Amino acid sequence: MRRMRWGHLLTAGLGAVLVLFIVGPLLRLLFRASPAGLMAAFQDPELGQSIALTLFTATTATAIGIILGVPLAYLLARTRFPGRRLLQGIIDLPVVVPHPVAGIALVLFLGRRSPLGGALAELGLEFVSHVPGIVAAMLFVSAPILVSGAREAFAAVDPHLERVARSLGDRPWTAFRRVTLPLAGRGVLAATVLAWARSVSEFGAIVVITYNPKVASVFVFDRFTSFGLGAAIPAAVILLLVALAVFALVRLLDTRELE
Amino acid sequence: MIRLEAVGLRVGTFELRDITLDVPRGGYGLVIGPSGSGKTTLLEAVAGLAPIKSGRITVQGEDVTNRPPERRGVGVVYQRYHLFPHFTVADNIGYGLMQSRHLKAERQARVRELAAGLGIEHLLERGVRHLSGGEAQRVALARALAPRPHTLLLDEPFASLDPATRQDMRQLLRTVHESHGITMLQVTHDFDEALRLGDVVAVMADGAIVQRGTPEEVFRYPNSAFVARFIGAANVIAGMVTRSGSVGTDTRTFPAEFRSDSLALDVIADREGPAHAVVQPEDLVLSRESHASSARNHLAAVVLSMERAGPLTYVHLDAGRRLLAAVTTQSAETMGLAAGDRIVATVKATAIHLV
Repeated sequence: MRRMRWGHLLTAGLGAVLVLFIVGPLLRLLFRASPAGLMAAFQDPELGQSIALTLFTATTATAIGIILGVPLAYLLARTRFPGRRLLQGIIDLPVVVPHPVAGIALVLFLGRRSPLGGALAELGLEFVSHVPGIVAAMLFVSAPILVSGAREAFAAVDPHLERVARSLGDRPWTAFRRVTLPLAGRGVLAATVLAWARSVSEFGAIVVITYNPKVASVFVFDRFTSFGLGAAIPAAVILLLVALAVFALVRLLDTRELE
Repeated sequence: MIRLEAVGLRVGTFELRDITLDVPRGGYGLVIGPSGSGKTTLLEAVAGLAPIKSGRITVQGEDVTNRPPERRGVGVVYQRYHLFPHFTVADNIGYGLMQSRHLKAERQARVRELAAGLGIEHLLERGVRHLSGGEAQRVALARALAPRPHTLLLDEPFASLDPATRQDMRQLLRTVHESHGITMLQVTHDFDEALRLGDVVAVMADGAIVQRGTPEEVFRYPNSAFVARFIGAANVIAGMVTRSGSVGTDTRTFPAEFRSDSLALDVIADREGPAHAVVQPEDLVLSRESHASSARNHLAAVVLSMERAGPLTYVHLDAGRRLLAAVTTQSAETMGLAAGDRIVATVKATAIHLV
């Protein structure tokens, strides 16, 4: 009994250190920003533009991710085919690639001097130092989150339900729309929001491929290196608030799932 | 009508081989076998939910081998119900009527009619998460019947139910079968169920059908020790057959002796060599002393224990081998049978089935 108490205390103490370590810096950041500084930051057109650019590019990257990734996630959840595990591994690969490395790889792959980048540039689609480069970097780092999350959501729907729907007269697509999608929908949505948040928070890959125009994270970094800590704080706080709002939304979706 | 001709399929590492089965129109077919023998996969093949590699499937006179499940007119009821959790009971039942060809009023009337028939009318507006097993099974059955299938496939529909509910459901299925004139194919691992419900029984093992026939045929004449054990014929004895007489050399069968350790039985055999003797418990007649009768096999035995099951009493015997006899409880009482008694067990040679 006594020993267990000590064990509990130790566990709680260790956990508390970590929780404080996470909450502390964020709270400190939130309270360091003076109201005047925040007001000024809000009125800074450059910050506004960078946040708008971030939201736009993250949304675009997520939309592309949904179109390319959700059907794939369904396939991975439902079918067994040779190479399925390999495919899953490839999808998860960006998670272990350091982000600046991903940025460099994307530059080499999509830059004007590569065959693909050259061909796309001919068609007017330029990546390096252009907005599509931001979208490409975001897609690269967020795709694993979207596909894995959606795959798990689909896998959680009993395939027998689809079979019953088929036996009751549904074509494959109808069964998917009436049964699988409503049941997996919330999980897929949660994965989508997480992927979007991942895109918003990306820095390392974007800073390599497209420094200008600046997304919010690059903007904060730029303020920090050019003008020092004080100048970076208001922008950092606003970016943090955006992230927290997304986080709260995901949590809300998650708890509804549990009920 | 359901007909499978030499159907073969493979799901992962599991294989169904050369499945041939025939359930007449309006008939009640049962597939029995231990878990993992491929029964559910067989049902899914009939429903079009498991693609087959070879063979032919005919349902209601039409070749449906290459038809998708939604165009086979075959309903499915799974053991775990698999109700749609995001719909009410009414919407579950009406699911197969939602396709455009049904009017809303027509649909509601059909749902109500089915629910009334199955005694679940009071549940219609409820969600499906908190239904009892029996209720959920009725909803699943109503849902499968709603689009008026000509064939209904049932995958162990009673396995998750308590005994009382199981009895009700059995009765209900029989009524449904008779009143709707539907061809049924049911999977079970319970041979009693087959005896009670089935016109046709197929016993499966390891992805193949090992015996087909009427329940009586299979029960009386199991064609292998596996089938005999599985259907619960309690006395399955491995031994050796040797010809004992020269009588009847021109017929296929001959009198012979079946020997297993110290146990020797007179039997009618059609071949010599190693075999299994199957004796139904009710074919063992127990008496206090040996008396002359047409039965040739009188076995001295000791009563080990007795098990009363309502009007029947099962008597475990040691006759050099363990045997199980079934007598009426009344005669067990008249005889005053008790554990430790020395008795004589008699069995007619013709009641010993060799496989």
